[in-house]
Amino acid sequence: MATVHKLQVSSLSTTASSYGSSKADGAVSDQFPVGMRVLVVDDDTTCLRILEQMLRKCMYLVTTCCQATVALNLLRERKGYFDVVISDVHMPDMDGFKLLELVGLEMDLPVIMMSADGRTSAVMRGIKHGACDYLIKPVRLEELKNIWQHVVRKKWSGSKEPEQSGSMEENDRHKQGGDDAEYASSANEGTDGSWKVQKKRKDTKDEEDDGELENDDPSAAKKPRVVWSVELHQQFVSAVNQLGIDKAVPKRILELMNVPGLTRENVASHLQKFRLYLKRLSGVAQQQAGVPTPFYGSVDSNPKLGSLGRLDIQALAASGQIPPQTLAALHAEVLGRPTGTLVLPSMDKPVLFQTSLQSAKSIPSERQVAFGQPIVKCQSNISKHFPQSHLSVEDFPSGFGSWPSNNLSTVSSLGSLGNLNTQNGNMLMQIFQQQQQQQSVVSETSHGINVQPSCLVVPSQSPANFQAVNTSVSLNQNNTFSSTPVIDYGLLPSQSNSVSVGLSQVPDVDFKNSDVLNGYSIPVSLSPSVSSFSATQADNSTSWQVQNSAINFSTASKLPGLVPNMCEFQGSYSPRAGDLSNQGRSRNLGFVGKGTSIPSRFAVDDFESSLDELSYLKTSGDNNGDRVKQESNLDFTENARVGIPVLQHYSPNDLMSVLSK
Amino acid sequence: MLGWGVERLRADMNRLLALLFHQGVLDEQFLQLQQLQDESSPNFVSEVVSIYFRESEKLLRNLRELLMDKEFSDYKKMGMHVNHFMGSSSSIGAKRVRSVCVAFRAASEQNNRAGCLRALEVLEHEYCYLKNKLHELFQIEQQRVMASGVRYPIQN
Repeated sequence: MATVHKLQVSSLSTTASSYGSSKADGAVSDQFPVGMRVLVVDDDTTCLRILEQMLRKCMYLVTTCCQATVALNLLRERKGYFDVVISDVHMPDMDGFKLLELVGLEMDLPVIMMSADGRTSAVMRGIKHGACDYLIKPVRLEELKNIWQHVVRKKWSGSKEPEQSGSMEENDRHKQGGDDAEYASSANEGTDGSWKVQKKRKDTKDEEDDGELENDDPSAAKKPRVVWSVELHQQFVSAVNQLGIDKAVPKRILELMNVPGLTRENVASHLQKFRLYLKRLSGVAQQQAGVPTPFYGSVDSNPKLGSLGRLDIQALAASGQIPPQTLAALHAEVLGRPTGTLVLPSMDKPVLFQTSLQSAKSIPSERQVAFGQPIVKCQSNISKHFPQSHLSVEDFPSGFGSWPSNNLSTVSSLGSLGNLNTQNGNMLMQIFQQQQQQQSVVSETSHGINVQPSCLVVPSQSPANFQAVNTSVSLNQNNTFSSTPVIDYGLLPSQSNSVSVGLSQVPDVDFKNSDVLNGYSIPVSLSPSVSSFSATQADNSTSWQVQNSAINFSTASKLPGLVPNMCEFQGSYSPRAGDLSNQGRSRNLGFVGKGTSIPSRFAVDDFESSLDELSYLKTSGDNNGDRVKQESNLDFTENARVGIPVLQHYSPNDLMSVLSK
Repeated sequence: MLGWGVERLRADMNRLLALLFHQGVLDEQFLQLQQLQDESSPNFVSEVVSIYFRESEKLLRNLRELLMDKEFSDYKKMGMHVNHFMGSSSSIGAKRVRSVCVAFRAASEQNNRAGCLRALEVLEHEYCYLKNKLHELFQIEQQRVMASGVRYPIQN
């Protein structure tokens, strides 16, 4: 009854006030979606009370409000506080759609509409107004448990794209929740790097492909955000209808809409969102867990690299953490890479690969480097890392433990590079190289690693996940460099300060291939990370890996031919590794900005020499080398372990979220 | 003796609930409500239901006033009231009330005043039946709680 009274008296009752404090704590974010702040607006107090209770059962922080105007004031006063708004459609003081529109214009929050009216026309109206979901009363507990996906999706896409992977969730949360200053800061740092990458990718996309609608989000980073008012959206919808949803491409839509100031990117981004909405409506809605994958998957359809770039960019933009500068840098890198680089034939692998696939598509090269994966990883990593900021190297035990410094080094399978982490501490760059069969395994590890960095990925950390990754890798058949690079990115951004790069190489696998792949992927992911790292990385050892990766990336992007180089390098693993490490450090920094081609060396060396490198790493005073070697042997298991630790470090929430996804 | 009384009251409650389900008066949403009741809100179900009664009576009154008005023509407003009623009824699992609301809404969309009036009468009837039965249920529940001297959540 107390709650009821509150409602009546003030029309606004925050039942979860006690939770609020906890939210502020990092713990909450870790356990995402626990503690997610939900504002419920409904003039029907019966429903309001039931929803409140249901949402509390879901462990969300609930604020209820029975008047739309009060809700709007509340949202304005506490900008950034709420993660999601659930609003009734029919309210006496203000139509729910009006509220939806205002919220969309002013704070870009995900808004879920609900009504007893479940007729298609009503639902369509909600969609047209930009609702991210439409619940039909009676609302079931199961539906509410799942609404966090909209928060994640929103954050991922930023304002731009709805397709995000789970990893984005954390980032999104950070963005949205001004409360989590800690996270936000960390997230921002990490994202910066990632953002850059994304932006770059976007640029590339723009340049390369018009066809890719999905990645358009980058526009946000580049340009002032376009507000899709109801009118504008309806113009858009009519244009799409005119063209047919399957044939609608941003360029044509833009022509039909004929709105000054609107860019193809704006339209593309919006179209992507729109398509997602339609998918969701049709019940095909992509699951959140699979979000990264699905999105990527969609991207996959577009072979162009640009798509990958866009995705990343979008994600970054969504997170809002990526600085323009970084983006620019990333673009340069990304563009170069995509062009040459990666073609991820193996993109089949669904999620991670999808991203990579995109890149692959863009990358004509047949090498099949899967940049997309890296990208994905980066995003996810970034988001996760940021919030968590610190990866726990502890899991990685031996190597990491020794690395007392903050750095986490995860050397997945072969993990030659893993040790590098020492300096970076935070950043974990895991580069996995996979070669066909063995590679597949390796790739898996790398995937897993990637996952780890990103909160979403975390679930994959488990061995099983790794395997999955592997599968995807195998799909790639070709080496999947991308995957590793991605990881690097994610880590780097998140941990800008401490980056641990774990390069896992499959022992059995041909290093050359893997190297090549690595090189490819690395360039992509690395460049972003490198850029971020260069500033952050004070430590040479850690930076090494990162740097190396960075170098590779740069080269890769610029030099498709690098791959071959990489192969050659493979021969001289151990020696090179040492050299590389050194070079990598210096180069990395340089690369970040420059994007030199040094990478080729490093990539091969790292992977092949992984063991050697590990030893080198050891020389650097870390036990990593040993551990790394061990890891290489373990391949999957180790990777899995590594990933898990990482996950642990990340907040439990992150992992949870990933898992749930 | 005391324990036996508690058991008997529990059986009565379950029997009544089964009857209401069988009649289609309630549906599984009501069970979900019961599941939402926990230590933090031990009276959740009765709390929600009393809110519902209060709101519903207001809505029914408004609907009747609208339809009794000879100048009546605001079907849109009536549709919104019906929609509101439908939303809250379905949220507590009042299945039959909800179905009548659907018919009511259809009539109001067709601007069918006679249909609306008929629907309103059926609605009032269904609502009264629901209210009586739920009151009965809560009374048994109350007796049970008093008899047991302990409050524990309804087991379903």
